[in-house]
Amino acid sequence: MTLNDVVLTPILPEAILLLTAILILLIDTFLGDKRWLTWIGLAGVVLAGVSAYRLALSEPVSFQGMAVSDHYTAFFRMVILTATALGLLVALNWLDAHGEQQGEYNALLLLAAIGMMLMAAATHLLTVFVALELLSLSLYILAGFERERATSAEAALKYLLLGAFSSAIFLYGMALMYAATGALDFAGIQQGATMSPLFLVAVGLLIVGFGFKVAAVPFHMWTPDVYQGAPTPITAFMSVGAKAAGFAAFVRLFVGVLGVEKVTWVPVLAALAVLTMTVGNLAALRQVSLKRMLAYSSIAHAGYVLVGLSAANSTGVAAVLFYLFAYAFMNIGAFAVVIALERQGEGDVTLSQVRGLAHTHPLLAGAMAIFMFSLTGIPPFAGFFGKLYLFQAAVQANLTWLALVGVLNSALSAYYYLNVTVQMYMAKEETPPRLHWRPVLGLVAAIGVLFVIAIGIFPQVWLGLAKLGMLALLG
Amino acid sequence: MILKVVFLLVSLFTVGSALMVVTHKNLFSSALFLVASFFGVAALYVLLEAEFLAVAQVLIYVGAIATLIIFAIMLTRGMMSGRTSPRNDQAAWAGLASVVLGLVLLYVVVFRVQWPVVEKPVPPDTIEQLGRALVGRYVVPFEVASVLLLAALVGAVLIAREKEV
Repeated sequence: MTLNDVVLTPILPEAILLLTAILILLIDTFLGDKRWLTWIGLAGVVLAGVSAYRLALSEPVSFQGMAVSDHYTAFFRMVILTATALGLLVALNWLDAHGEQQGEYNALLLLAAIGMMLMAAATHLLTVFVALELLSLSLYILAGFERERATSAEAALKYLLLGAFSSAIFLYGMALMYAATGALDFAGIQQGATMSPLFLVAVGLLIVGFGFKVAAVPFHMWTPDVYQGAPTPITAFMSVGAKAAGFAAFVRLFVGVLGVEKVTWVPVLAALAVLTMTVGNLAALRQVSLKRMLAYSSIAHAGYVLVGLSAANSTGVAAVLFYLFAYAFMNIGAFAVVIALERQGEGDVTLSQVRGLAHTHPLLAGAMAIFMFSLTGIPPFAGFFGKLYLFQAAVQANLTWLALVGVLNSALSAYYYLNVTVQMYMAKEETPPRLHWRPVLGLVAAIGVLFVIAIGIFPQVWLGLAKLGMLALLG
Repeated sequence: MILKVVFLLVSLFTVGSALMVVTHKNLFSSALFLVASFFGVAALYVLLEAEFLAVAQVLIYVGAIATLIIFAIMLTRGMMSGRTSPRNDQAAWAGLASVVLGLVLLYVVVFRVQWPVVEKPVPPDTIEQLGRALVGRYVVPFEVASVLLLAALVGAVLIAREKEV
């Protein structure tokens, strides 16, 4: 086999994004109005989406056992491309206002998206690893994008150092997995997977590596500082995209490939789920910074998704996919509102800044309220059905206690989510919040609201798609 | 028998230098010990009859990466004079936990594992096979690695560039 025999089809969406990223870097030099770069990036995302859709209609194709384009991949491409499109949009005026480099931002965002989609498609640990590194490296740089602000640099450095540690641990897990099963490709690992001390150590190290990437407790220490310090558009993008990508590979490897040996890892993941939900929610209760609160909330949400992963059954996998899709809209939507509230040069928004927002900007406050309701899991919004399916899966897997812990945690989280709403509607503030209001932010918030409601009203449609993805994995 | 002794000596040298890298107070000396450790790994490759990997190890890690690290240390020395300590009051507990967990891991990996052994001679044309594998079977990770380098390059330029006002 030589390069000439290689057919690009299975990774065409990724190839399109790569060409778009290179194009953006090249024409950045000539272009006067840099805002065009965002639209070029969006065009690339749309093209990639079209090709991903066409791929989803055809039979699954594998790229030499390294990556596969099946319905599971297709579902995550949809989630990640959505997050990428919204991530490009929320930054449009933000970059202008902060005088940051548009070309590099857009190109790096697309490169990170390539890594994320490849993680979902990967069927070989080598692909998983290089894809993981591609997305992490791009995000390290993006986290430190505001070079003038010390907290942004701190976020980048912390993310880089802890990310490098976790990558090393993941790599060690890969090496031991190879030693234990004699293979690095998923099919071979599945064949060779038998209980042995070495296998256990390998599984443990891989859990630590994935746990870091999806911000599960106790591997979450980087998350609050990084999410708070990074530029808000990046926080929005990575809280959704990196999490989806991490879980995509996590679920494919653990439920899809190591499912036969699930007695070894289900108790560990269930314990992680409990810790992650509880610590995330308890810490979020005490935050005054909106960004930091959303950071802890994203940890808690990783915990809910871990509940579905611990269930390790077909309902659980479908629920995980459904949840990550719904989460993309509610979280990026909430961050779009935070960006609108941001004051020049501060890069942080406190809870007191939303006081009385409903009186001055009723639409914006309404959107934020819907996102908060959805994050809490109040019907009829998307978040409710997401949690419902996750907890249902846990009950089916005889993990009723885990579902109970999840429900209790949701009740706990209601306090800080609804507190935001209360502050917006009940509190009177003499000086109403001044906004850097931009039409694109309104567009992103509107898209978020639309989907949060649409997913909530027609959950069966989206669950059907998630089930298609699940079937590709579990047959 | 001789091979075993050589292997032991080389491993001791490699691990010893690696230990010095993390324990030495002077960053510059740490970098030099890192070079020694890289050489040790290259020697291990030679023992495994992977000559090409050994040469690549010396060329890339010793030749390029170690030099780069030393340059970086020399250029930023002014900023690095230790005003802050990397340790806090939890260092003792953290150290204890890591040592215990590390020993457990080592015990399992060293004593509880039957390492699989494949009794096959090393093929004579390893370089050709490596090359074919890189542009054949492993073309996806190989190409993604170059995309990764592109991202790193863009990032490096971005961080190092003067900000235009």
